[in-house]
Amino acid sequence: MKKNGAWLLKIGQLRAVLRRFFVVLLFVCAGMFFLLGKVNSPMVDKIDKAMISVTGPVMSVIEFPARIIHRIYTYFYDISHIYADNKILRAENHQLMVLQNKVRTLEVENQLLERLLNYVPPLEASFISAKIIAESGDNFTHMILVYIGDENVKRGQIVLGDESVIGRIDSVSGHYAKVILVTDINSKIPVVVERTRVRGILSGNNTAFPQMIFVRSNADVQEGDVIVTSGVGGMFPAGLPIGFVSSNKGGVISVETMADISRIEYVRIVDYGLTLDELPDSSTEVP
Amino acid sequence: MNDSWQENARIMLINAVPLLATILLMFLFYMPIHMSQTNFFRPTIGVICVYYWTIRKKDSFGYFAAFRVGFLTDIYSSSPLGTNVLMMMFFVFVLHRLSKLLYALSFCWSWVSFIFIGLAFILLKWLLLSLYHQSFLSLTEVLLNFISTVMFYPLIVSVNVWLQNKFLPQEGINE
Repeated sequence: MKKNGAWLLKIGQLRAVLRRFFVVLLFVCAGMFFLLGKVNSPMVDKIDKAMISVTGPVMSVIEFPARIIHRIYTYFYDISHIYADNKILRAENHQLMVLQNKVRTLEVENQLLERLLNYVPPLEASFISAKIIAESGDNFTHMILVYIGDENVKRGQIVLGDESVIGRIDSVSGHYAKVILVTDINSKIPVVVERTRVRGILSGNNTAFPQMIFVRSNADVQEGDVIVTSGVGGMFPAGLPIGFVSSNKGGVISVETMADISRIEYVRIVDYGLTLDELPDSSTEVP
Repeated sequence: MNDSWQENARIMLINAVPLLATILLMFLFYMPIHMSQTNFFRPTIGVICVYYWTIRKKDSFGYFAAFRVGFLTDIYSSSPLGTNVLMMMFFVFVLHRLSKLLYALSFCWSWVSFIFIGLAFILLKWLLLSLYHQSFLSLTEVLLNFISTVMFYPLIVSVNVWLQNKFLPQEGINE
């Protein structure tokens, strides 16, 4: 009886030691993940992709009722704004009719000039539409998860919402892809001010207003100027709209994205033929 | 034999309720709402659930559960893998030390204590991620996120209380 009691005590002590060891092991694992993530270990990337593949279908199921609610909300919202929208559309239509005639003339002129200069047209881009199934849960990161199905999507491809750039593909795992938004701290996109051709880098800062950095202090950048991709670095083609300059205070240029990312339901993933996977090994970040 | 197997499975499922509820609630709040600027007011549900279950069901919700919650948060929020895992486990470590004190608090005082402990958690996470990115992240958005988390506290706790009363009514069911 005494022997049994001693054994039980020893087993109890052993279990307590193992439990403590397990907790320490968990802390070590967490620290390891953190450090490996910092050095861009492929192992961390693989774990990330595997987890998205496993939990993605759950997210798709959960997202379904949200989509239905959103559609009902949009339906009533649209009905309530139908008169004002109609008025705006009439005015826009009138402007577009005027512009259409101008565009026709310019198009013919452009074709003639292209022929004269032996101009090589840029590559035709192909695109797919993808549904957003999850948004980031906190303000430490700005990303979305999209369902791409069986489509061939690659890391680095551009993601458009409402005709303007909202981000790029960060990783693809099975039928799902993670999109890093232009507002995320990891996003760096070479841009140019459309009006004055002033170049810079649009750098995300985890706020709704990314900043344009590496711009000359005396550069002509005004509120309302349109910011487009510059094409420098080769990842993004030139001329894709991103946003407007919302403020320029003492050289700190804040940009407001054209697309209201929170309201987008579907995105377009555009393939211009060059992705991050095809770049040399060292370039893990978009230049 | 069959009965004991079923009983074991039942106890296992009951003990898994806190973790499953946390994961399900987290997924619900990752749902895209498609409404303007809602991303900035999205609460961090994982923190509320970990806070509640660690205090109320210490034995069903320990370090390993926090590890899994943190891991899923990292995956879905695209945070550097390990950030939320480390933070959640540290959160549980602190809560274990304070659990006796926090367990006895009324709802209102529990909410107040969540504001302080949660704020410390969020600021620590902000510091860790700022170190990771080697630049200070915007604190305004982080605080907005925290305010919405505090506002959602009663709702999430109500859901958890309901789940606890429904599935884990007796104290120490797993003991």
